[in-house]
Amino acid sequence: MHGEYKTPGGKLVVVDLELEDGHLARVQVSGDFFLEPEEALEAINGALEGLPREATEAEIAGRVQAALGPEVVMLGFSPEAVAVAVRKALA
Amino acid sequence: MSRTGWKDYDWQLLRDGPMSPALHMALDEVLIYEVGAGRRRPTVRIWEWGGPAVVIGRYQSVKNEVDPEGLERHRMSVVRRITGGGAMFIEPGNTITYSLYAPQELVAGMSFQESYAFMDAWVLEALKSLGVKAWYQPINDITSEGGKIAGAAQTRRGGAVLHHVTMAYDIDAAKMVQVLRIGREKLSDKGQTSAQKRVDPLRSQTGLPREAVIDRMVETFDSLHGLRQDALKPQELEAAHALVESKFGTREWVHIIP
Repeated sequence: MHGEYKTPGGKLVVVDLELEDGHLARVQVSGDFFLEPEEALEAINGALEGLPREATEAEIAGRVQAALGPEVVMLGFSPEAVAVAVRKALA
Repeated sequence: MSRTGWKDYDWQLLRDGPMSPALHMALDEVLIYEVGAGRRRPTVRIWEWGGPAVVIGRYQSVKNEVDPEGLERHRMSVVRRITGGGAMFIEPGNTITYSLYAPQELVAGMSFQESYAFMDAWVLEALKSLGVKAWYQPINDITSEGGKIAGAAQTRRGGAVLHHVTMAYDIDAAKMVQVLRIGREKLSDKGQTSAQKRVDPLRSQTGLPREAVIDRMVETFDSLHGLRQDALKPQELEAAHALVESKFGTREWVHIIP
């Protein structure tokens, strides 16, 4: 499943995922955003793994936010933008 | 960390002959750490491309960005850079690319967004002197009334900031949309004419040869901040070649996001 969301005034967030027993699996976030440090991408993917397919945008964004340390810089996108792309993939 | 200014540094210029796209990717990684470690002075590097390429951002998916048939047809390869941002369609004579490597103190206290415009202020000055009215369009574009001129990307690591920019000197828009998927989506969205107008390259805006535009950029940097001719150290080039072997030239890296 595939979802894309262009952050207003920012960058494109793409999410590819599969569903396993109603839960997100093999989640891959990509896009033309900026993110530091680069390892933070794996933290974002990991935060989405296993979420129930019914998770709301707010729940998804909260999971992503909680997985990122204070040193992480997201430029051109946000946990909310990732959540919108996930919901679009699931729609 | 207190902020420094451009003039606090003895800026070095690297302007070498053509190198492979993968070697350019590797040099950016080598040189940001060299400057961060204090083994190299802050540096401006002008690139010459040894061949055509699609350069994708650190976080982009190859299959989302690149059309494999178009790539094959035009005998282009895909390389992945260490910075975020979008895909670039590179043909050697059509592109002007440069990197800046500086201690992070130069952008201390600035947001990433502020530091993009700060690192390219000298380029806007150079363009102005060539009669091109250009400005920064946040986050990372240099644009003009005619359309986009350039895209920048940054990363900060090892105590240094890398800021690199690719400018369109000329563009084969028809070929670009055969190779980049994103280009084609924009085409279907807005129609062929507007897609081809979206980028307004420096060739049509200045009427000057590519070399003359680069010369003016170098002169402008020199007059604003000072710039001294330098050469790559053998160990820097060696380290970059090793990184092509172990990272930038490998399928694992290029397809790290398939």
